[in-house]
Amino acid sequence: MPENPRRDEIPPGTLYMLILKMLARHGQLHGYEIAGAIQAVSDEVLQVEEGSLYPALQRMLLKGWVTAEWGVTAGNRRARYYRLTPAGRKQLLAEVEQYQRVNGAIHKILQTV
Amino acid sequence: MTWIGELWRRLRHQLSGASFDQDLAEEMRLHVDLRAADKLAQGLQPDAARAAARRQFGNATQLQESSRDAWGWTRLDSWRRDIRFGLRSLAANPGFAATAVLSLALGIGANTAIFSILNAVLLRSLPVEDPQRLVQVRPGDQGDDEFTNPIWEQVRDRQQAFSGMLAYAPGRFDLADGGESHYAAGLMVSGDFFRVLGVPALEGRVFTGDEDRRGTPPLAVISYSFWKRSLAGEADVIGKTVRLNRHTFQIVGVTPPWFRGLDTDWGFDIAVPIACDPVFHPAHNALDERSQWWLRIIGRLLPGETVEQARDRMRAIAPEIFRATVPQDFPAEAQQGYLKNSFFLKPAATGFSEMGAQYRTALFTLMAIVGLVLLIACANIANLLLARAAARQKEFSVRMAIGAGRARVVRQLMTESLLLSTMGAGAGLLLASWGGRLLIHMLSTTTHPLDIDLSLDSRVLAFTIGVAILTAALFGLTPALRATRFDLHQLMKENARGALRASARFNPGKALVAGQVALSLVLLVATGLFLGTLRNLQALDPGFTRHNVLIITADVEQAAIPAAMRANTFREILDRLRALPGVAAAASAVLTPIGPEGWAQMVRPEGLTSKSAKDTLLFLNRVSPGYFATLRTPLLLGRDFNERDGPSAPNAMIVNESAARQFFGAADPIGKTIGMGKDSYQIVGVVKDTKYNRIKEEDRRIGYMAAGQDAAPGPEIRFALRSDVPVETLIPAARAAIAGVNRGVSLEFRNLELQVFESLLLPRAVALLSSVFGSLALLLAMVGLYGVTSYAVTRRKGEIAIRMALGAPRASVLRLVLRDVVVLLAIGIAAGLAASLAAGRLVTSLLFGVRPRDPVQLAGAALVLAAATVAAAYLPARRAARLDPMAALREE
Repeated sequence: MPENPRRDEIPPGTLYMLILKMLARHGQLHGYEIAGAIQAVSDEVLQVEEGSLYPALQRMLLKGWVTAEWGVTAGNRRARYYRLTPAGRKQLLAEVEQYQRVNGAIHKILQTV
Repeated sequence: MTWIGELWRRLRHQLSGASFDQDLAEEMRLHVDLRAADKLAQGLQPDAARAAARRQFGNATQLQESSRDAWGWTRLDSWRRDIRFGLRSLAANPGFAATAVLSLALGIGANTAIFSILNAVLLRSLPVEDPQRLVQVRPGDQGDDEFTNPIWEQVRDRQQAFSGMLAYAPGRFDLADGGESHYAAGLMVSGDFFRVLGVPALEGRVFTGDEDRRGTPPLAVISYSFWKRSLAGEADVIGKTVRLNRHTFQIVGVTPPWFRGLDTDWGFDIAVPIACDPVFHPAHNALDERSQWWLRIIGRLLPGETVEQARDRMRAIAPEIFRATVPQDFPAEAQQGYLKNSFFLKPAATGFSEMGAQYRTALFTLMAIVGLVLLIACANIANLLLARAAARQKEFSVRMAIGAGRARVVRQLMTESLLLSTMGAGAGLLLASWGGRLLIHMLSTTTHPLDIDLSLDSRVLAFTIGVAILTAALFGLTPALRATRFDLHQLMKENARGALRASARFNPGKALVAGQVALSLVLLVATGLFLGTLRNLQALDPGFTRHNVLIITADVEQAAIPAAMRANTFREILDRLRALPGVAAAASAVLTPIGPEGWAQMVRPEGLTSKSAKDTLLFLNRVSPGYFATLRTPLLLGRDFNERDGPSAPNAMIVNESAARQFFGAADPIGKTIGMGKDSYQIVGVVKDTKYNRIKEEDRRIGYMAAGQDAAPGPEIRFALRSDVPVETLIPAARAAIAGVNRGVSLEFRNLELQVFESLLLPRAVALLSSVFGSLALLLAMVGLYGVTSYAVTRRKGEIAIRMALGAPRASVLRLVLRDVVVLLAIGIAAGLAASLAAGRLVTSLLFGVRPRDPVQLAGAALVLAAATVAAAYLPARRAARLDPMAALREE
């Protein structure tokens, strides 16, 4: 089966925001579920280079935006589940706000032409 | 403070991070497995599904690595590796490492030692509550800083400038009940003293405002160290008594160990209320004395107020305070002057230090000297590192060829330098605690031992760490940068011994040695000046013979002797002392030479019209017949006092040469009169000039009055005994003889020679330390020059061999090698002379009889340095001259 040709790389710098958003919506997820959720919600348009989730998650752990806990999947495998902290929730708001500001500005520029 | 949270998580992660790699791997494996299962479900073949999942996931190893990076492990790991590698590479050359660490330990240790003293006496804040808010109130910006008790009481009762004020006077208390005195460091304090400072009682209580009342019972607060040392730390010390100057004081409290009083040089043993002064001096106490200035006053600033605000408030009440405390017995003119007094405020956070005030220049000079020594040591180590770097060039080129960046190699080399300086600093700290105590001991006198708290505090520690990092940068950076600055391709093409040779136009090693020579010269010049100063001071004729003289200070204030009987008692004691076996001569005097006490007055010499009042100032003493013979001060004209110079005879005076010359010029002074107060004195003799307070002083005008004509002798007198036997052996007999007259006399025994010796402690210590460090600098410069020359000879082996093979004689090879050395020396010495001339001006106050610009001094130091360093360079030069050209060329 061929790969979907209409798949876009996610814009740089937005990975944190996407992960935070998914965790905010679903409560707790493991890595694969995060990747899946991003693709599903974006109608498979956004493609995460899946491995890059993990360094990002480690950095977010360090910054204290998320916490991790080991649990068991539906298929009875050990998995690390991530969950938002209050600091992460604040960060999400900040990132979304900034994203919208930038996006709005870009949108305006495109409109004026 | 997000970084604190990050640091905390990072640390926790470090501690629990053993399974980090496995956890991450498992997490990633799960991901790939689940993705593969997905693909399988979409209809891919198992193998293809797995491969696709892997492709989609990315480079797992790299991802794992960058996940580790997130926690800062890579950096830590590589530091650990750097340190381990650095230690290994230092251990590979233990001789170098030991030399470097030892010279750094000496340099850093000496710097830390001097700094810790500077810190203790000049920089460190008192360990009391909020010391930055303490301000001293003074009668002037400069000079004396004490007030009278009437002024203090007025200030205390009227002021609204401070949230609290205290007054105190340092002093000493005699713990002995008659006979030889045993002194404790004392404080006379106001009632609020401890409360204003925020010093609680460890046991019992501290004083309160109640103790300011006149007639307060004799109470004492003792220090922790006095409690432990003199009272053996007994548990129920509160309520016990101590005897101070023969009066019983009840102990009400003990202060905590960290409180040592406000004078950083001495600490304190016992504090008693100022209001207890009448206990010691029932006849005339200082409490209502309007011309006895003895109390330091300190205030604590009101919250939110500045020193300026407090000053303005104090100045506003100054006129009424001084009006209320005018000394009634002053002449009208002096009273007017008194009313012009005002208040000056000065921060008091660091407390008071006589040593800091007196030895300030000396301490900073010593700091500069040890700083220079450390610089020289740095230059030496840098040189050794340069040579080492040249030898390790192959290693660096290989590391850089396989991809290490230049920064990476420099970092590795700097790690090695930091390792050296850290080890040096560690050993230096140990040396410093010992060296600091040694120096304090060297500067202590028997009568006034210094007791300075040199315990390590954060400032000293920060200083040492700062010095360690700075030295590492100084000696490590140039060699590291230089060792890694080469063209890789060029180097790989050349053989092992190459690259530096080609680019060795400017040789940093040579520059370092020239700098070393310059700095060493500065130190040698300083050593010469300080040794010369000490020699001059010791050789100076003080006008008396200091050997074999015992000085006995006798105080009869606490003995039951009516004032009218004092003169008789003193005479009787003197007679008994003269009769002692071993005593060749004896005399009494109010003052003996060399010491802090002085006595001076304006006089009216006959026929002198003086330009200023200062020209008529005469330093005074009152002596018994035989005083000059006892001290062996030659009588130049006229006669000594004798028994006929009594109360009914005309007042007689003996003056010294300076007084005779400056008051009467060429005229014969004998028979002239000098008016003083209401009295007039007739000059009966002239004696040689003698030193009065210190050896290092201009000759002063001194006038001596006769002991027999003293209408009201004071309670304290001194006896000078010239002996035929060692003076210390006279002490028991002298003590017994005086006890035979009166048991209540307090006594202190001193050897005049020791007293003169101790008055020169500072110049001696400076001379000794500068000699030690000057020699060290010389040694380091020799080692440096030896090293550079040896290195040059090794490098030029081929060239030298060819020259010799072509018939150059040995002497010319020797000249060839030494020519370089001489050029280096000339540059270094020129720079050193310029620096010495500039630095000399800063230390003039420490010099005596030598001039920092003295060409002989400068030339002498330069000569010593040149001779020593040329000798050091001669060894490798001679080795070069003895080279076997054939063997050397074959090796090339």
